[in-house]
Amino acid sequence: MSPFGGRGPAPRRRRLGTFVQSEGSGCAVIEINGLSKHYRNRKAVDDVTFTARPGRVTAFLGPNGAGKSSTLRVLLGLDAATGGRALIGGRRYRDLRYPLRTVGALLDGAGPVPERRAIDHLSWIARSNRIPRERVREVLDLVGLADAARHRVKNYSLGMRQRLGIAGALLGEPEVLVLDEPVNGLDPDGIRWVRDLLREHAALGRTVLLSSHLMKETADTADDVVIINRGRIVVRGTLAEVTAGHASLEAAFFALTGDRSGAHR
Amino acid sequence: MSEVSAATRAELSKILTLPGAWIATGVVLALHVLVQIPPAGLLADAVANITSDGVIEIFTGQPQPAAEAILGLCTGASLQMGLFLPVLASVIAGQEFRSRQLGLTVLAMPRTVPLLVAKLLATALYVSVVAILIAGISAAFTYVAVKDWNPGLLVTGEAFLGHGRFVAFAVLFCLTAFAVTLTVRGTLTGVVVTVVLITVTMTQVLAGIAPEVDALFPLSAARNLMLDPGVNDLTAGRTHGLLVLTGWAAATSVAAGVTLGVREAR
Repeated sequence: MSPFGGRGPAPRRRRLGTFVQSEGSGCAVIEINGLSKHYRNRKAVDDVTFTARPGRVTAFLGPNGAGKSSTLRVLLGLDAATGGRALIGGRRYRDLRYPLRTVGALLDGAGPVPERRAIDHLSWIARSNRIPRERVREVLDLVGLADAARHRVKNYSLGMRQRLGIAGALLGEPEVLVLDEPVNGLDPDGIRWVRDLLREHAALGRTVLLSSHLMKETADTADDVVIINRGRIVVRGTLAEVTAGHASLEAAFFALTGDRSGAHR
Repeated sequence: MSEVSAATRAELSKILTLPGAWIATGVVLALHVLVQIPPAGLLADAVANITSDGVIEIFTGQPQPAAEAILGLCTGASLQMGLFLPVLASVIAGQEFRSRQLGLTVLAMPRTVPLLVAKLLATALYVSVVAILIAGISAAFTYVAVKDWNPGLLVTGEAFLGHGRFVAFAVLFCLTAFAVTLTVRGTLTGVVVTVVLITVTMTQVLAGIAPEVDALFPLSAARNLMLDPGVNDLTAGRTHGLLVLTGWAAATSVAAGVTLGVREAR
């Protein structure tokens, strides 16, 4: 059992490499502007506006069911917006030609067919965006799954599946990372690895947007914070601005959302 | 175009690395071999008794011109096994709805039309290879029976035309099943819909009371396309059969495209 949340060696710590053939402008800001998403009569996302800037880790926080995943799904072109817009580098996700070279994404709940081998799963993703095959090996090595690359995903632990998802997000060496609950299933060492990865990504001038309901881990990672509750933004700003007057991000979160039920430490 | 090409290669990769697709392919091919073994001896006996004027009696009391009858039997054997191919197509399409893989697919290829075209091309390519293998197995068993009578029979234009019609049917019918499965978003439901379509023809109820309507169903169209009208009761001609199969594939593909574009990728 790896300390990273599954079998196999811990992930390698190494530089992420340089930007390759991305379609971004070099200033890949994520802009969410007046975004709404309604499911029948329920407003999952209601007039949400915020920006995630390059060189910074932006944490998108909220209790379960607050509208985080719905917002990210609209941003990534998986769901249609009821109103407003969500742009990456000034363009809709679906307008990017080989999107994975610009945006790496991890979706909560979406995964590979369990009977497929991890290396095969990453290979089809790489082929779809003309990403060199060698990159598949690189990302498997990067997330510590090189030895389990030929194992079927159904034999993976939750932590290993999460690592595989992160490997998929890193495949295209994207300048934007959008990660929905990236530390789910990871053990403390794995969580620290993800934190270092995201910090390193931001340090290279890339844009990182992650959703989470884990306050302590987020406080150690984020530069900027956006808190959503019941589909509406309750606060956005730098970590210092959001936590001003509160003992911690967690305390700020509870004070701002007024709901202890959905958040976890 | 390169976007479609990359997406097609990705979709082909998905098919080739999907254990379910290999299992379904293996079962269909093995079943075809098994089904071909029992009648092989009977056909060899019938070929041995072909008259000097080229008449064979495969079914007692039904003398037929030998070459046409044997080629018809060969094509019919392939058609029979082709009925199982839509299951393979549904397994291929249905993988998207397991573990919500569709979300990852749309992330990688967010434009609906190139994605759908790539999926259809990859499936058509894979199915055509399987169909060619089925036709090859049918031809091999037929060759064993006819090699002492007319070893060149299976390399005639008519023989290749028969195989070509079968491959066309297999690809078009599989694309229909594939698109139906994408539309209804489930392997089992896709298979059930295809079985219902096949059953309409198998019961021959419509063929008796409304042959024009019967001719619009895919399996009836396949029979019209592939079988010899001199020996079989058919409800339309070959061209009509091909157009109907093409129409089903096209209409269901449009429906799948609309569904992919309108419904959310879950």
